Amino acid sequence: MTPNLRRSIGYPAAALLVALTVGLLKLFPGLTDSTVALLLLLAVFLSAWAFQSGPGVLAAVLATAGFNFFFLPPLYTFTIQDPRNVAALFVFLISGLLIGRLSALSRQRLTQVEAERRDLATLTRLSQAFLADTNRESLLGVVVDRLRDALQCRQVSLWLARDGGEIAEVVATPGTPVRQDLVELAFRQGNSAEFPSELGGTDIYLPVPVGVQRAGVIVARGIQSSERMAEGCAVLLGLALERERFLRLARAAEETKTSDQMKSTLLAALAHDLKTPVSTARGAVENWMAEAGASEKAQLALEQMKALSRRIEELMEVVRLDSGIARPRREVVSAGELVEAAVFRFGEALQNHSLFIDPPPAQAVVEVDPGQLTEALGHGLENASAYSPPGSSIRVVVEAGEKSVCFRISDQGVGVPAGDRERVFERFVRLSSSSVVPGTGLGLSIARSLVEMNGGKLRLEEAPGGGTVFEIELPRASR
Amino acid sequence: MSRVLVADDEAGIRKVVRDALERAGHDVETAGDGEEALARFEQGAFDLLITDWNMPRMDGFELVRRVRKKSPVPILVLTVRQEERDKVRLLDAGADDYVTKPFGVAELVARTGALLRRQSRSEQTSLARWGDVEVDREGRGVRKAGRAVHLTPTEFSLLTTLLSKPGAVWTHKQLLAAVWGTTAGVTSDTLRVHMGSLRRKLEDDPDRPRFIRTEPWVGYRFSPGD
Repeated sequence: MTPNLRRSIGYPAAALLVALTVGLLKLFPGLTDSTVALLLLLAVFLSAWAFQSGPGVLAAVLATAGFNFFFLPPLYTFTIQDPRNVAALFVFLISGLLIGRLSALSRQRLTQVEAERRDLATLTRLSQAFLADTNRESLLGVVVDRLRDALQCRQVSLWLARDGGEIAEVVATPGTPVRQDLVELAFRQGNSAEFPSELGGTDIYLPVPVGVQRAGVIVARGIQSSERMAEGCAVLLGLALERERFLRLARAAEETKTSDQMKSTLLAALAHDLKTPVSTARGAVENWMAEAGASEKAQLALEQMKALSRRIEELMEVVRLDSGIARPRREVVSAGELVEAAVFRFGEALQNHSLFIDPPPAQAVVEVDPGQLTEALGHGLENASAYSPPGSSIRVVVEAGEKSVCFRISDQGVGVPAGDRERVFERFVRLSSSSVVPGTGLGLSIARSLVEMNGGKLRLEEAPGGGTVFEIELPRASR
Repeated sequence: MSRVLVADDEAGIRKVVRDALERAGHDVETAGDGEEALARFEQGAFDLLITDWNMPRMDGFELVRRVRKKSPVPILVLTVRQEERDKVRLLDAGADDYVTKPFGVAELVARTGALLRRQSRSEQTSLARWGDVEVDREGRGVRKAGRAVHLTPTEFSLLTTLLSKPGAVWTHKQLLAAVWGTTAGVTSDTLRVHMGSLRRKLEDDPDRPRFIRTEPWVGYRFSPGD
């Protein structure tokens, strides 16, 4: 029975029920007054249960009148002979009204509880359905049908915000177009709006919340269920969309990680395959020299072998940089350690030069990937030794400024013309004056990439007296 | 004569290492992968294990872990990896030293010699001597060029820790654990300060140390020389 039907037939039906009860009771003349009264109260109770409190009140009044008219002497008049019956009638009326009220109230509560239970079940089903969808396409594919069923409405349209911020309809059940201005208003203000619908029930424009933001708007037309239910659905959809987004991000992160791991493994295998033959050859030549005595030819082979391994290392470094897996793992280190490490590792290249290291100031501290910066400084040292005459000196100075730390490696070589000081950082670029020096022209480009990855700048300057200064500037860190 | 086991999957490298070590007077056996190396190691008594990192079946890292569980034998690892983090991982797993490929034969022989000398000195006297420095572990006395040098308890503890495995590389973590008994609250910085002062007291030129050497980003090594 719909509420409307129940309201329109409630009063006549209640009156009829009381009349029938009175008629039925008149058929059994032997009944005592108290039995009659109880049975009439039952009729009041049933009227209020079935037709709610208004008809219940009517039933109570009619039952009181009927009791007086048909059963209390003198019969068939509204006068009352025995004054005790006045009190009884009054009690009867009060009881009728109370019973009617209580009956209607409990019926109402029961209906409410049932409705809430239904809503809860619907929301649970909806959330389970949303949770089962782990990608956007399958979620959006069925979302409007699910919402239409959950909200018991005629038509649902879902609007979602794009990256640019404007909102557009992404999916809808068949029906007439919804009003875009109302959608945009609901989206901007974050409040839901309701209007009486030409489809019956209400039309509701519901923002879909995602944290304090909004993901979009649900438009439900001809909705029968409660507003609270609709808001519950919107919250669920917001959570489902957010969950789908996190899942997507997590998958992307996982894929990057797997592909980075694969690249790393491949590169390690490549390094192994390239370096092993060189290692073997170098070892064999060294063993041969140890047994047969050093010769100029063997010495030459050995030198070239060493140069080849260095070239392989440079090449591997370029591949690592290009493949995007050379992400710096930064930590706070002192400039002194960096210089010490670079000299330790690349010192062999400096054996024909005099190396001067000014002790770096204690406050020269930077936050960098130590391995990468050591490598960059190493390229500076190698460059200085390759492009300055044997026996000349190479100087390493570290200066700590207010905000930055500067590493300078200066040599006494021919220097780089001002016009070429940027060009030499390009890959494979070597100046014609340097063609006598072996090399690939990769070192400076690698060094610059490494320094920039760690938030620094690398440039070449002219040294006083004509040589080159290789200068790395990094933001100063605090301990 | 010392017995050395060499594990590498490359026949060329095995040959080079074998030739070099035999020339230095050692007795060399070889294995082509980690599992074979482990089986051989369990059969015979070896004074030193040299292993490649990248090997089929069982890699060098796993071999180091397994061998270290059973034996204190010195282990030297051949690696193509430049990454300091990998080296630290290797040392923490129980390796004593590493040589990065492509390596020089002379360097390999020298490192091998340093690790083997430690082995032969296993019934160590309480007196250690290198260059012009003398350390009396029991009397806790240190002399340089005949003159007594005062070391703080931490410095002395650091020194004797390094001395306990001449030639081996100690990671920062290992040193902190051995000297301070914990790695919590003490940093590599603290370590660096104490090392610096130890060098100033014992090295002829503290800026170019000969005996207490830094392995950048990895740790420290005590190399007593020949």
